[in-house]
Amino acid sequence: MIAEMRESLQSLLSEMLGREVELTEPVLLAGGASKEAWAVDADGEPLLVRRAAGSVIHRHTLSLANEFAVIEAAHEAGVKVPRPYGYIPDLEGREAFVMERLEGDTIGRRIVQKEELAAARDALPVQMAEELAKIHAISPERVPFLSDTRLERMVEELDDVGEPHPAIELGLWWLRENRPPSCPAVVAHGDYRIGNLVIREEGLAGVLDWEFAHLDDPVRDMAFALVRAWRFGVPEKRLGGVGPVEPYLDRYNELSGLDVHPEELDYWELAGNVGWAIGCLTQMQRHLSGQDRSVELATLGRLGAEVEYEIVNLLERFAA
Amino acid sequence: MTERPTAQELTEAIQEFLGGEILPTLTDHRLRFRMLVAMNALSIVYRELAALPLEDDTEQRELAARIRAGDVPTGTLRHVKADVEARLRIASPRYLEAYREAAAE
Repeated sequence: MIAEMRESLQSLLSEMLGREVELTEPVLLAGGASKEAWAVDADGEPLLVRRAAGSVIHRHTLSLANEFAVIEAAHEAGVKVPRPYGYIPDLEGREAFVMERLEGDTIGRRIVQKEELAAARDALPVQMAEELAKIHAISPERVPFLSDTRLERMVEELDDVGEPHPAIELGLWWLRENRPPSCPAVVAHGDYRIGNLVIREEGLAGVLDWEFAHLDDPVRDMAFALVRAWRFGVPEKRLGGVGPVEPYLDRYNELSGLDVHPEELDYWELAGNVGWAIGCLTQMQRHLSGQDRSVELATLGRLGAEVEYEIVNLLERFAA
Repeated sequence: MTERPTAQELTEAIQEFLGGEILPTLTDHRLRFRMLVAMNALSIVYRELAALPLEDDTEQRELAARIRAGDVPTGTLRHVKADVEARLRIASPRYLEAYREAAAE
């Protein structure tokens, strides 16, 4: 399997780069149920091959072809992303794409704790705002296949699971009752948070995981990085366990020309938690339905209670 | 209180993992035997859980439906929070503890 993969990649990459390249043996980094990630070096250039696997993680994710197109658009717009090399419709029977493999940390726990990354953490609030403002400035016409995501979609996903969760219902109810005036939709990353960013000692080196890209309220995209589950055990640092929200908000407003208020961030932070609480149940359902049997997915169904606890605490705070 | 996956469903997931992914990798005979013994013990737990009556989730379903319809009486949040806490004490007690410590600071 690996030998064939290497042979196919060898000829495809040589074609893509316009010269005969020498490949190292491809190493499977992550064998998720929906996508694989292979590391391979071509004449010393570190590359990452994303390849489709059996099932899809989520029915609202982009195809690999569209995910690649979004990365290309982001790259053109000057967003720090891995350099996109090319899309491969058929790599040993499945679609794939090739991009640069960035060096750096992506593991949340390490990013919030590692001593060597203390300076990076100081720089991140401003740097995260800068990359996000660039993403939101991408012309939607450049990526016409992206769809609008409404808040109501969360309700549909919850109903698909079919389990009663009053805490999630309370969150949805509050979001319906307190909806702020909507901002015009922009190109949104959809999963912009610590864990999906490559971090080095000097700070943010790359934005990864574009499969949830869609058109949305910019503040919703902005607030996802505040969700407690993505603070990795450092809850007092509200922006992803790395720092305060104020410099993130100020820099974003400065660059985008918008005037986002802290209360709007509160609103969308709650929405992010409601979305992730439902996400835990959706993942659990993949296990229960037999689509993708896994202890990890099964356990996520129970750990959703952590997110529900954050929802009720936020609601208590908003009510006070 | 009802919760998915149920204890039985979680047990089943562990059985599949041990039987499908761990057992085939065990080459040491003694360890292999002890794994089979452990899996047999899990089957006992599984069958015992299967014999328990199904928990009634009518109350939860009614409450969820009422909130969905916008009918949220005073005290609902307090009631729901207590319920989530009870679930957390089973699913993730350390998270609950750490959350409270952080809030107290």
